[in-house]
Amino acid sequence: MQQNTVDTNWINNLFAPLHDPQLLNRIFSYSTKEPWFFTEFSFLAVFGIFLVFYAAIIQRNTWRKAYIIAFSLFFYYKSSGPFLGLFALMILSDYLFALLIQKKSGTTRKLLLWLSLSYSLSFLLYFKYANFFIHNCNAFFGTQFTDHNLFLPIGISFYTFQSISYLMDVYRNEIPASKNVSDYAFYMTFFPHLVAGPIVRAKDFLPQILDPQPINAALYKESLLRIMSGLLKKLFIADYIGKYVDIVHELPQNFSGAENLMAMYGYSFQIYFDFSGYSDIAIGIALMLGYRLKENFENPYTSTNVTAFWRKWHISLSSWLKDYIYIPLGGNRKGEFNTYLFLLITMLVGGFWHGADWRFVFWGLAHGLALAFHKAWRQLFPKENNSHWARIASMAITFHFVAFCWIFFRATSFGSAFASIEQIVFHTKWQDFTGFWVSRREMGILLFIASIIAFFPPKIKEQLFQEIQILPTFTWILWITIALQIIIQFKDDVVQPFIYFQF
Amino acid sequence: MRFEYFCETLTPPQNTSNNPIDDSRERCIEIGSEHSDSLKQSNPSSPWLIVWAGISITLPILLLYIYSCKPEAFSFAGVELKQILGNQDIDAMLATLDEPETPINTTQTASISDTANSSIAQDSTLPFLYHTGGVFTFPAYELPVFADTTKHRIILIGDSESGGLRYPLNDYCLANGHKLVLSVEWYSATVFNFGRSDTIDKIIARFKPTYIFLVFGLNELYARDLKARKIAANLLAKKLRNIPYAWIGPANWDEDYGINRVFKSSADSGSFFLTRNLTLTRAGDGRHPDIQGYRIWMDSVANWLQTSAKYKMAMKPPRKRGRPFRSSIITLNAAKYRGY
Repeated sequence: MQQNTVDTNWINNLFAPLHDPQLLNRIFSYSTKEPWFFTEFSFLAVFGIFLVFYAAIIQRNTWRKAYIIAFSLFFYYKSSGPFLGLFALMILSDYLFALLIQKKSGTTRKLLLWLSLSYSLSFLLYFKYANFFIHNCNAFFGTQFTDHNLFLPIGISFYTFQSISYLMDVYRNEIPASKNVSDYAFYMTFFPHLVAGPIVRAKDFLPQILDPQPINAALYKESLLRIMSGLLKKLFIADYIGKYVDIVHELPQNFSGAENLMAMYGYSFQIYFDFSGYSDIAIGIALMLGYRLKENFENPYTSTNVTAFWRKWHISLSSWLKDYIYIPLGGNRKGEFNTYLFLLITMLVGGFWHGADWRFVFWGLAHGLALAFHKAWRQLFPKENNSHWARIASMAITFHFVAFCWIFFRATSFGSAFASIEQIVFHTKWQDFTGFWVSRREMGILLFIASIIAFFPPKIKEQLFQEIQILPTFTWILWITIALQIIIQFKDDVVQPFIYFQF
Repeated sequence: MRFEYFCETLTPPQNTSNNPIDDSRERCIEIGSEHSDSLKQSNPSSPWLIVWAGISITLPILLLYIYSCKPEAFSFAGVELKQILGNQDIDAMLATLDEPETPINTTQTASISDTANSSIAQDSTLPFLYHTGGVFTFPAYELPVFADTTKHRIILIGDSESGGLRYPLNDYCLANGHKLVLSVEWYSATVFNFGRSDTIDKIIARFKPTYIFLVFGLNELYARDLKARKIAANLLAKKLRNIPYAWIGPANWDEDYGINRVFKSSADSGSFFLTRNLTLTRAGDGRHPDIQGYRIWMDSVANWLQTSAKYKMAMKPPRKRGRPFRSSIITLNAAKYRGY
């Protein structure tokens, strides 16, 4: 028998990290094994300490800015390592391009815009889509190109879109180019939105640098509540449902129709709670520093049609697509046929942005067609039926359409997606639902809770939030401890990486 | 920090309603043009509140960290209060667990072949399936066969996998004259159930086996609290001190986070069988092996038991498979019966 290698002394365990010679190295260097995300407890602990020092320099704007930029760069380094250099290069070049665009006019201006946009996009295209194009080229033309061994830099899809929006806004004279490189760096690196959005617009954010929110008790409670509810949404609800969804989607043909149907609903809730929970944490952390980011989700599953759904789902992305793809293409100014065409193109780009795979393109196409269908329907029947039952029916139809499309989003391949659909359509029996309930009762209960939260009337939700905020400030440590313990209690196994991270 | 201070901060500020995003558009500040260092705020931020915010995020995590350093977790009304998993601890611990592979003692195998004069030794008509790097092949040479003809009283203890493995094991026992006295199938059980409970002690005291088969771990492939599981595995190994055993690792359907290494380090050297690298056919759930998978698995285990296990036993391949199972079965469910 080998001896027990685990120390049974509490105090020794407590101070064991201090005896580690690699401690400093571990804290300050990037490790692929434990990259920093908002859900890492180590990040939250460091963020708390960061806040204590932040308080000391809160009145001096220059220091405050420098402090946050330094922490953001450190954060990006801890989450994606050497890609920090690429990121810094991009910030610097965008800053210079924007200044140049502002100075010039006419054709030179246009040329500069195209140059800067293609420069920004080239990184995204290379890291995210190079292998996709190589695969397809090989498949269609029988070429023999080999894959590039690429690692997608974290957050590149998000910060590329931000830099595009900044450059285009400067070109359109909507905002002046930032004269100070530190202002622009602050906007781009601001760590709450750095790795997975929300995609922040320069015109919303840059003014706040000079005039941040005063941090008072109301703000303090709102931000803590946002962070905690986000952590619970992501780590408790989304991850727990995700474990089940993963099992089914590994081999959908091996599960009954009922199981596949529950996985479809499960994934709809998982992706919503995952990403809206993440957005809540991001917004809460930004708020705690005194900067307000825009809402990213507004109860999307309560929408009664697809158009409304896209106004409430991932708002920062859908409004970006509208402002920088749909409207520049021509919007609804170039005839009826073109309007539909532009809508489709916009959604195809949106789908492709989510991942380099035909499944995402198909997903975008399905949503584009649905949006076009809804537009046509509105023109044929302009009068909206506002009765209670009509609203519920249209809500159910919209939710089921969206949930159906998520199958293509989640499945590992087209074949697997169609297998899952086949199981749902042809092999769903009533007795399987009782089987599901018997063998996966916890999952059933959690799905029920998730659906209640997702379909909850927003007014009641806001009221509830107001009620909670009455709790005295000094008791919040206790609530946070309880929330974290709940997460630990159910976390148990591996945590899913955020669904939107590597996009 | 004074208590009155918080009471003051509870009064709602006057200008919470105005949204900076909306009015900022109208003001359209020329960014970068005016760089006064101090901020012009009507209602200035309170630094102590930010300090308090930092404390209220860090302190709970610190408390939970201190708790997680406690060797044994608290139990509260039968529910264990779980501890944070220290990610960095796992790597450090696994590094200490890794031991170099013991080189194969060629003289020992030779001596076994020399003494192979029993009926088992001559029986090499049925070649074993044995495993080389994920593919099953038939051996090109004759395997040395263990000559001990001791008849064992065998108990099979495990999670749901034991419910499948008991049938091929039964075939082997019947072919080799062993007696499979009992099969314990403890659904959803983990090393905690086996290590912390006294269920195994009771079973051993009652059935007095001379050889124990353990097979579990399928429910804890993704476990990362290896520290706690290591302690439980050591407890389990302690229970089995006086009886020869074969500790069979779980039939991985996915990469584990080190549970196999924990089991291997806790088991006597040479008495742990690593199933992870076997390619087994799976049942409908994609997790458990199917009938054919269990047979292949058992063939590999039997091969190992005859050749390189610490506690060797005769395990000639049976000529007839799928014989009826007549031994006792105990079925437990960890969801209802935890055992500790």
